[in-house]
Amino acid sequence: MTLRSALPRVVLAGLGACLVLFIVGPLLRLLFFATPETLGEALRDAELRDSIALTVFTATAATLIAALLGIPLAYLLARRNFRGRRLVQGLIDLPVVVPHPVAGIALLLFLGRRSEVGGALANLGLEFVSHVPGIVAAMLFVSAPILVSGAREAFRSVDPQLERVARTLGDTAWGAFRRVTLPLAARGVLAGSILAWSRSVSEFGSIVILTYNPKVASIYIFDRFTTFGLQSAVPAAVILLLVALTMLVVVRVLQPQDRQ
Amino acid sequence: MIRLDNLHVRVGTFDLREISLEVPKGGYALIIGPTGSGKTTLLEAVAGHARLRSGRVFMHDDDVTHLPPERRGLGFVYQQYHLFPHLSVRENITYGIGRTRSASSRLGAADRVSELAGMLAIEPLLDRPVRGLSGGEQQRVALARALAPKPSILLLDEPFAAVDPATRQVLRRELRELHEREGITTLQVTHDFDEALRLGDLVAVLSEGRIAQSGTPEQVFRYPNSAFVARFVGTGNVIAGTVERTDEADGSRPFRGRFTGGNLVLDVVAEREGPMHAVLRPEDIVLSLSQQSGSARNRMQGKVVRLERLGPVTLVHLDVGRLLIASLTTQSVEDMELKAGTRVIVAFKATAILLV
Repeated sequence: MTLRSALPRVVLAGLGACLVLFIVGPLLRLLFFATPETLGEALRDAELRDSIALTVFTATAATLIAALLGIPLAYLLARRNFRGRRLVQGLIDLPVVVPHPVAGIALLLFLGRRSEVGGALANLGLEFVSHVPGIVAAMLFVSAPILVSGAREAFRSVDPQLERVARTLGDTAWGAFRRVTLPLAARGVLAGSILAWSRSVSEFGSIVILTYNPKVASIYIFDRFTTFGLQSAVPAAVILLLVALTMLVVVRVLQPQDRQ
Repeated sequence: MIRLDNLHVRVGTFDLREISLEVPKGGYALIIGPTGSGKTTLLEAVAGHARLRSGRVFMHDDDVTHLPPERRGLGFVYQQYHLFPHLSVRENITYGIGRTRSASSRLGAADRVSELAGMLAIEPLLDRPVRGLSGGEQQRVALARALAPKPSILLLDEPFAAVDPATRQVLRRELRELHEREGITTLQVTHDFDEALRLGDLVAVLSEGRIAQSGTPEQVFRYPNSAFVARFVGTGNVIAGTVERTDEADGSRPFRGRFTGGNLVLDVVAEREGPMHAVLRPEDIVLSLSQQSGSARNRMQGKVVRLERLGPVTLVHLDVGRLLIASLTTQSVEDMELKAGTRVIVAFKATAILLV
């Protein structure tokens, strides 16, 4: 290989390496900033433990709701060519482009006691603002598009003819979905759900407006940082980072080799 | 028995119209037509996957027009096989028969799998995943899967399109044997008329969403009813032109006439006058090296352009002011020492010309 032909590749690799370093550098710095002692101390802090437990609980609740409502929608978007499909697709993707504090304010106006919806729900005993359901609502709002698009792509990757074959072999439409499409799409749907769950865990901007207390992990870290400073925020930040990394590994393992 | 009664199906902007066809019980019918003529859509309509705008579908005298695919009792083998990738070969084959969990039905299913695996020579594959099977193997598994529930009707969409020619020959023979053994009414789609001649009791030629002609393969091949069918089934030379009456204009039919077109003037026996196509089969053309007397009314000078050897038969491409293809035994081509440039007398009977 001559120098001339190798040059473009070197330039491309160099540019890419800059970006990778920019992402990995700060995270590594954070990981090594914490010592085992400070991490152990942080884990003994009941407030942090509670906030992590709350985060896991609310993110799981938001993901389950998103899955219940979003998987059927994802299937429809992948398989049926109905009127307004593109519109529905666009609406579902809206939260991705709405700044998160804006989403928080919108949810506050919609679910607050003074709105019709929020008022009616409050009368049924479901309070959002400054309550746990507010956290779930904010997480659902920002993570639903991720779950729906992940599941939609998973369904789209399954050849629709396979369902037709199953039908001619005696399956009803539901039977063909359950025995063919769902098993084939399951890994992709699960990977999309885990990404949505991770997105929920990392949410801050809308939760901070809707429910500051009780504190989820991201708000706990912010609170530590503004109240006690950097040193105090680091151990909790590291723990949250480790949770996120674990989920990323799980998603990577789930993704089928041939689709990467 | 399958009976299609004036089907109309629309897929996007494509229309399949006026489709009427009857395949008798245990019959083997082929739908042939070029790509885009609506063959697959027709099968999907029979299977119940495509919604009908009008018309009715009957199976064994039952009107199944409004039944979903799973209640029509048919097997469907797709061109791309579509084996279930998450299941083993055995699980694919039992897909349609493993639904009830009783011990007797499981035993029955196991028997049926062994029987089909034996017939199709796929026993060694049964416990393999479907990934990595060759095209011919996938084809056999797809066929076994479709046959396992003992359907009374089998639909096949270009089943041999994706396998090599040698495998195709074997599969064709096996399919014909299976058809006879299981007595299944079969409807197959193909773009290959040769396949129709070998397999079918009945063919229907599809053109732009309509049935251009149907009948026995022999009938369609010998007596195509249009220039399209003649060209598609490869009947032979198709020449556009006009027929005029040359005997007394007393209105009797058929009458002697003159066909003018494609740089040729031919004596014909016609039913009507006006523009039409003359179809001349290559085996009806007689070649000789010297002027010979004979009964053929059409005689002309020609020159050999090229020889196309197909084993025992050779196609002789002739220039007679236009291209004509004649079919001779390779033996007579050698006896006559024909080669490119040889001048010959080209002759054929007026009754050999089919006017469509």
